[in-house]
Amino acid sequence: MSEQPTTLTKQPQVRAKGNFFGNVWRSLFRYGRLPEDAEGQSYVVFNSLFLHIHPVKVSKHSLRLTYTYGLGVIATILFLVLTFTGIWLMFYYFPSATEAYNRMLDLRSSVDFGFVLRNIHKWAAETMVVFVILHMARVFFTGAYKPPREFNWVIGVILLLLTLGLSFTGYLLPWDQLAFWAITVGTSIAGYAPVLGQPLRKFLLGADVVGQEALVRFYVLHVVILPGILSIFLAVHFWRIRKDGGLSHPADNDIPPEGGGQ
Amino acid sequence: MKKKQVRVQQPEIDRRTFLSTLGWAGVGVSAVAAALGNILYLKPAVDYGPATVIRAGRPDDYKEGIKELLEDERIAVIRDKKGFAAISVTCTHLGCTVRISDAGFECPCHGSQYDNDGYVTGGPAPRPLDWYQVSVAPNGELEIDKGVIVPPGTYFKVS
Repeated sequence: MSEQPTTLTKQPQVRAKGNFFGNVWRSLFRYGRLPEDAEGQSYVVFNSLFLHIHPVKVSKHSLRLTYTYGLGVIATILFLVLTFTGIWLMFYYFPSATEAYNRMLDLRSSVDFGFVLRNIHKWAAETMVVFVILHMARVFFTGAYKPPREFNWVIGVILLLLTLGLSFTGYLLPWDQLAFWAITVGTSIAGYAPVLGQPLRKFLLGADVVGQEALVRFYVLHVVILPGILSIFLAVHFWRIRKDGGLSHPADNDIPPEGGGQ
Repeated sequence: MKKKQVRVQQPEIDRRTFLSTLGWAGVGVSAVAAALGNILYLKPAVDYGPATVIRAGRPDDYKEGIKELLEDERIAVIRDKKGFAAISVTCTHLGCTVRISDAGFECPCHGSQYDNDGYVTGGPAPRPLDWYQVSVAPNGELEIDKGVIVPPGTYFKVS
């Protein structure tokens, strides 16, 4: 933030005094009573792990719900939902060609709330793809891909590809007919890519046909590698939003005066 | 004289740049080697897929002129006057299982059509169905090797 004041006089004081809970609170959030002036409040945001993802100031323009519809936030929340439900599903599922399908059925019939978690995971996954695409459409139609935000658009495209990769790898895991044939066809399509196609197909399947090897590889990609890479790119994505000056908005002198325009 | 020569032979890069370049070259080579190692790690030297050689019952189980479908193995076995043939029923387009039709074979996924010998007669399939090598195992059963692809129209004498 270029307008950051150089003086540090308004740094909130972090003192270890008072009762136990007060100390814990101040250790976690690094402020006690909320400062009343804008600069002090800014420092609260700067200094808090939980708040620093937020910009200290936002353009009034970008606060309108209809500007973003919160599409990116929704996609992020869906990713968090998928992470938590996915970890819970991992307690029962394992990627064995003989067991995977039965475990999937057990989740539906023999585990309390198993069908709920499985369905939340499934629907969140499908809506995440939808919302990532809607989010990209919003960014496109508001021109938010233009400099200085062009790098973040590229990060966003990578995030889209990772989202689709997670969708694809997750599709095999129920190990039913739909999964088997979808991945048979999908990896065959990958095989048609020039030069890298067949090596890529072989890397994904670990064999010539969809079988136990493919199931393990898709599982590892789905639960560790792709979510890990996606998390890193997500962090860069958020960091760039702040560094590019928040959401796209008209230059400040373009904003019509109160009560006028729009 | 000597002093002048020393000045002329001043090295073009200084020691610091040389060592730094050498160091970074080492880091680069190590990084490439590590990347290659990781790629090789993902390509096992053994094939973990299903066995390619399968047994398909006794020759007498098959009637002449009928395509017998071995669903699990995804093979159609044909007995002919010329001998035995094993045709793959895996579509050469995207890997679906083709079904036996009046004209030969047809794929339910994207409509590829093949004649009785597996040659493409329609649809997106890029090449004919694979024909596999057929032989007789020591116990008299038919043995089909899915790892050995033979030209379409190759029948194997079995006696």
